Amino acid sequence: MSGSARVVENAVCLGCGCACDDIGVVVEGGRIVEARNACALGLRWFGDGSLPGAVLGGRSNAIEDVVGEIAELLHSARAPLVYLAPDLTSEAQRAAVAIADQLHGFVDGVTSATASAGILAAQRRGRAGATLGEIRNRADVLVFWAVDPARSYPRFQSRYAPDPAGVHVPNGRADRTVIAVDVGSQRGPDDADVRIQMTAEEESLFLASLRGYLAGRTLGGASIVARVTELAARLNRARYAVIVTDAESVPEDVATPARRADSLIALTQSLNAATRGSLCALRAGGNRNGADTVLTWQTGFPMAVDFSRGAPRYTPEDAALSRLARGAFDAVLLVGATNALPDAVASAIQGVRTIAIGPRASESAVHASIRIDTGVASIHESGLAFRTDDIPLPLRAVLPTPRDTASLLGALGVALAAKGAVA
Amino acid sequence: MTQLRITGGAIHDPANGIDGDVRDICIDGGRIVASLPADAPVLRANGMVVMAGGIDMHAHVASSSVTLGRRLLPEEHTLDPTPAPAFEDGTIPRSGSGGTIPSTFTTGYRYAGLGYTTVFDAAVAPVSARQTHAEFDDTPIIDGGFFALLGNDDYLHRQIAANEPSRARDYAAWILESTGGYAIKIVNPGGVELWKRNVREVKTLDDPVGASSVTPRRILEVLADASIELGLPHPTHIHCNNLGVAGNVAMTLDTMRALEGRRAHFTHLQFHSYGGERGKSWSSAARQIAEYVNGHPEITGDVGQVMFGDATTLTADGAVEYLLHMSTGKKWINSDIELETGCGVVPYSYREKAAISSLQWVIGLELFLLSADPWRMVLSTDHPNGGSFMSYPDLIRLLMDRAYRDEKLKSVNQKMLAGSALADGITREYTLNEIAIITRAGPARQLGLTHKGHLGVGADADITIYSRDADYAKMFATPRFVLKAGTLVVEEGQLRRAPSGRRIYVRPGYDHALLRDLGKYFESYSSVQLANYPVTGLRDAPVPTGAG
Repeated sequence: MSGSARVVENAVCLGCGCACDDIGVVVEGGRIVEARNACALGLRWFGDGSLPGAVLGGRSNAIEDVVGEIAELLHSARAPLVYLAPDLTSEAQRAAVAIADQLHGFVDGVTSATASAGILAAQRRGRAGATLGEIRNRADVLVFWAVDPARSYPRFQSRYAPDPAGVHVPNGRADRTVIAVDVGSQRGPDDADVRIQMTAEEESLFLASLRGYLAGRTLGGASIVARVTELAARLNRARYAVIVTDAESVPEDVATPARRADSLIALTQSLNAATRGSLCALRAGGNRNGADTVLTWQTGFPMAVDFSRGAPRYTPEDAALSRLARGAFDAVLLVGATNALPDAVASAIQGVRTIAIGPRASESAVHASIRIDTGVASIHESGLAFRTDDIPLPLRAVLPTPRDTASLLGALGVALAAKGAVA
Repeated sequence: MTQLRITGGAIHDPANGIDGDVRDICIDGGRIVASLPADAPVLRANGMVVMAGGIDMHAHVASSSVTLGRRLLPEEHTLDPTPAPAFEDGTIPRSGSGGTIPSTFTTGYRYAGLGYTTVFDAAVAPVSARQTHAEFDDTPIIDGGFFALLGNDDYLHRQIAANEPSRARDYAAWILESTGGYAIKIVNPGGVELWKRNVREVKTLDDPVGASSVTPRRILEVLADASIELGLPHPTHIHCNNLGVAGNVAMTLDTMRALEGRRAHFTHLQFHSYGGERGKSWSSAARQIAEYVNGHPEITGDVGQVMFGDATTLTADGAVEYLLHMSTGKKWINSDIELETGCGVVPYSYREKAAISSLQWVIGLELFLLSADPWRMVLSTDHPNGGSFMSYPDLIRLLMDRAYRDEKLKSVNQKMLAGSALADGITREYTLNEIAIITRAGPARQLGLTHKGHLGVGADADITIYSRDADYAKMFATPRFVLKAGTLVVEEGQLRRAPSGRRIYVRPGYDHALLRDLGKYFESYSSVQLANYPVTGLRDAPVPTGAG
């Protein structure tokens, strides 16, 4: 590290939903040269911090004029979509939702495309949950249900569980039983103490049988019951059992995640009859949870909110993707990291007049007529973000932003207000 | 900031001994002043009733738990869409949704529309305080503050186990400073930590919570003393053990006696005033609680009235919510939070036909009507637990209008009401000044907010003006004018402006020697870096603390 380097301690990595906040970011010559404590995924997410700062496609190069032009375009749209991509601060998310409200538009984000199953199940049933710190300090039985965090949540095991010592598990890993549940090709961690395997087709019956068993009923054939009995015994012996699942899923297979999410919620809730148990549903990075949380406090709904009647309506069964697919929008305001858009959304936007505001918007492959480069939350922009377990964390920019997303969206909101109410 | 003279109204300002006198109120710079130039603008309030802005000292409006509740209830929000109002001050108006837990903007608008200008969130997990501030930033008009949950905090329990009450006090001060909180809150002392350990009942104040020296009694004593020693404007705010359980009056009285002689606030006492026996019978024990409070001027309370209709139970008391989930079959959220606290949410409905709902309704009213000193027993529904804040006007009518109350009493389930004071007949009717006490002057005094809850010179110009109506529910539901810090937010019953509210918090100071030990603890057990814990950048000045 040369004399010109500086270190920003306790930076938050938004590479995945773990949101590790112990990163030491070393900056030298205006570039990130090191991200101490970061995992491989985190290192990729931080990168070197370099960003373009362009404003493309506007009639003028002056940002104030372009903001006015965007306001004009959105204000005249009949059915605009405001789409929240990852890597936004919650301040930017708040400003974006405000714009959708002003426009009487539709607001949605990546959550509806990748994680709606768990949210909808939790709206039907509630959920038994715990924050990551609670899991670290209390969980003595951990079931990784069709997820190996090493892949998408690399520091989960070393930072939260099972590895660290905790108040009620003073010997860390040695005090915990780790159970891997493999569902088809979705495997649990390699170093689990116990491994229970099933085919993807068996999963629903297995979960039903497990829930039945815990309620004193036997369900399913001998092969399933044997595996169910083993898992149930371990869960019932736990002081504090945690089932870890991946809340992110691909949209192509909607039925499986919905059934799994529903069953795992019911299962963990029912564990609390005899012992204590929680479900830990992992979300991917970029402050996705923040988008749901902000939407919920501002509108009452976590995703897929339609303001077209002047007040929020919840349409999770007809979210942004299906509306885009049938050409329901005549303008899209895309905010956040366009490179993290689900492919289906990126391709469905083709052909709709789109404005992209976010990091590397100018270089994005996404079709957009006006593109404004801004910064990445936590790398270039300070503010607030939410961990996968809803814990809010402070973001401190380590590098300057080309322009602050929240401020820019705020200015757009003011420009829209000056145009008067939407018809 | 504009000047304004309010003329002709009947002033109900009990903090200054004014009971319906007609006189002018002068406003300048957001505060009440002694006089104004003769040509200052005038608001004519002839024939109307003028009070300070309402203060809700115990509600759940801005927190991680509240938003968990919001997320759980899309069906409620769908039924109550709230379009954006039209404003005259250039503020961008926002739509939202209502139900028992409205969205943030709607919460601000609705409170202001009821003439409430200050609201405290009663239960914030310290680690999530940042979210509370962000939600308050999106809750317009009202000034907001919150109480920080401490009664089940692992680090605090360690200090009690180690017999280090002064470090416990410093930690409490650090928590308030770090979170921007206003007061110390205890929920089910020790019981939330026990629930996490699968121990579901606290039988006595001397039950051990892990270490034998950590008991509900010690938690109560240490934190009540901490508030006193730190000179906090509001004493420790206590939700007793065994909320909602038949026979819990014994625990409630034990708790009050344990703190005898100390300042303390006992919250939503209706939920803690049950006679009878667990699993067998229920009865009202409101008289015992009211008598105790009447005889002990050092303590204060709020009622936590139950109102018939939909509610959402939402509390840090996770064990209670599990029981409610099991007994009602309704959907249920539990969240165990970072060795600090917990959270449970279950939707609920109080029904006239239901025996227990009716008993709860009666007990709340008895607490109001049997309390000798309205300054020390103020209005709350523990929103949204006992009912929405939108039901306050109807509650006020129940207190002011005996005929209405008696009529209503006849329509509720009578099964458990035998021997209750209300069933035997209570003639008391609250006066307008008593209503002003339990909805603004009393909460302000209990909270130690010297600039609020009254209309004397120097007070914040938070003012609500009502048109008289024989139907008090109507009168209090639709104030004619509401001023917030001198700005007319409601005019002729319409919400017209939505300035941002202020944040109300304390910075009591602590011995920084704490940080060495706390740093080690965070390194060993916390999932958040110590440096990332404190909330920074609060705009408004803190409320002073200290004995002086």
